[in-house]
Amino acid sequence: MIAGMSNPSASGGPPDADRGRLEALERITDAALASLSAEQLLRELLLRISEILNSDTAAILLLDEEGLLLHARAAKGIEEEVEQGVKIPVGRGFAGRVAAERRAVFIEDVDHSDVLNPILRQKGIRSLLGVPLLVEDRVLGVLHIGSLVPRRFTTEEAALLQLAADRAAIAIEHATLTEQRQLAELLQRRLLPTDVSITGGLRLATLQLASRYLPASHESLGGDWYDAFTIGAGQIVVAIGDVVGHGVPAAAVMAQLRTALRAYAVEGHSPERVLELVNRLMTGIGPRAMTTLVYAVIDTEQSTLQMAVAGHPPPLLISPGEESRFLELEAVGIPLGVSELARYESQTFAFEPGTTLLLYTDGLVETRTESIDAGLERLRTLATANGNLETLCGKIVAQLVPRERHDDVALLAAHVEPVPERLSGRWPAERTVLANVRQLLRRWLEARGANADEIYDIVVACQEACANAVEHAYRPGRHWFELDAAYDDGRVRVTIRDRGQWRPPRGTHRGRGVMMMRGLMDSVQIDHTAGGTSVVLERRLGAQAA
Amino acid sequence: MSLLARVIEEPGDAVSVAAVEGEIDASNVQEVGARLRALMTNQSTALIVDLTDTRYLDSAGINMLFELSGELTDRQQRLQLVVPSATPIQRMLTIAGLVGTIPTHETRAAAIAQHA
Repeated sequence: MIAGMSNPSASGGPPDADRGRLEALERITDAALASLSAEQLLRELLLRISEILNSDTAAILLLDEEGLLLHARAAKGIEEEVEQGVKIPVGRGFAGRVAAERRAVFIEDVDHSDVLNPILRQKGIRSLLGVPLLVEDRVLGVLHIGSLVPRRFTTEEAALLQLAADRAAIAIEHATLTEQRQLAELLQRRLLPTDVSITGGLRLATLQLASRYLPASHESLGGDWYDAFTIGAGQIVVAIGDVVGHGVPAAAVMAQLRTALRAYAVEGHSPERVLELVNRLMTGIGPRAMTTLVYAVIDTEQSTLQMAVAGHPPPLLISPGEESRFLELEAVGIPLGVSELARYESQTFAFEPGTTLLLYTDGLVETRTESIDAGLERLRTLATANGNLETLCGKIVAQLVPRERHDDVALLAAHVEPVPERLSGRWPAERTVLANVRQLLRRWLEARGANADEIYDIVVACQEACANAVEHAYRPGRHWFELDAAYDDGRVRVTIRDRGQWRPPRGTHRGRGVMMMRGLMDSVQIDHTAGGTSVVLERRLGAQAA
Repeated sequence: MSLLARVIEEPGDAVSVAAVEGEIDASNVQEVGARLRALMTNQSTALIVDLTDTRYLDSAGINMLFELSGELTDRQQRLQLVVPSATPIQRMLTIAGLVGTIPTHETRAAAIAQHA
């Protein structure tokens, strides 16, 4: 309020009344209010409206998502409403009536009317005037003012109150949308792995992964989602899905989907069974939980890929020296969450080292102007085996994803490296890397023609040496060990080196690791120097175990 | 890495059975050991650990089994293993000198029959 101007309610006469109305309008439509946060704006509006209309109390209640209950959100003079979290059912009580009838409601005598909220009575409010908060015919809530002395509100006062309500409604709508978008983005960010190639805090040794997520340009956040995780020895799940809907509801379904999928996968169920179990769970959640999904288990030891699909476009298989092709299942199931009776089937495909599997969502292949077949064909001819996964993903995004897009686009690519002639690597000296090293060694030994027993023996011997290296790293700080495996003239020679200090075996069982190495290999050579320890293990393939 | 192994427990009044599926190494051996120990009560007389579906076992797991066997013996309880013959697991146990120290059976039925 500008200092020096008269209070309109205190002065009479037509010119003053006009000036008062004008000033009141200015105060409520004040552009400066736009810079406030929703919370501050509601407080400021309540303060101004109760000053202008000279009311004792003022409150704003907002409708919940289901449209059933009004929650007290801001109050002046009856702050208890907000503090106590007052909830009024639509259609009942004073505020409930305003929301249900979507028009101004005036109560001259609170004592003799249907007022539900005990706080209004306790405060001694005698008269009430309430108006709905409306945006495009939707009721967002209710704004009401009260008087401690019996009072008749005029239609002009009701109109002014409605103006304040309209102003508040727009601010609330804007804040809610912004809040929801931020929440959905946050949720989705947390639901998508930040680096797909790291599962359980570890970079996968046998499988390379890359991913992209590009939200739609303007519309609210969509429901594209992907995940990758290890479920056991040499088995990695890659999954991609598209949850129907967008924003917070879609992100909430995504969260449930992610948890259910991981939980059932870890239990060791087959892909079709995982889909059936997740489907049963999702049909229970309700019609909003519909989603398409590709679920594939890559077995890096068997070089296979077992896959089940629920209403999702087919993944692309990219092999060197061959045309890329879509992996079409004989039986693609319906999307998850549609029918409790849905059945899924899985199929196993060869997934040889050197090949790449590309999972994507329909935003990549569907445009508003052409058929999905044209989009699929463009993807198939573009995605060829050259360069690494990041290059591949970058090329696809650059050439197929328009800058202005009406749908999300998600990509997940998995690639099994061909086994190298010589295995050489450096590993953090931590127990959790042992399983990864085993996978790598098994694949390498298999490629060298070792039989199952030889693979087992050599892997155990190497693990004993690696476990020793891990134990040497007892001093604080990051430690590493190196593993080098070479094959020459029928002999496997594995060297494991660390920079830690050798500790003589302690306890009753500590010497067993070295004993196992000697029992499993043809020769074991352990050298301790000031710079570290090296273990050289040798075994001839095709001969009787030592 | 807890995903490496699963322990499937069948608690019993006197004899409990636990099957270890998957891989036991230095990263999860303590966890697996704790699960096995939790199966033993004052009423227990024996624990049968079924290694039929164990895909990987090295000295970390073998040491745990030795220690567990010692603890049970101290309490007049017994540890028995189920290990099919001619498997890599059996070869590991033999190299480590565990066969002969801890009673080992080829099938679970044979192990349970000991307590009938």
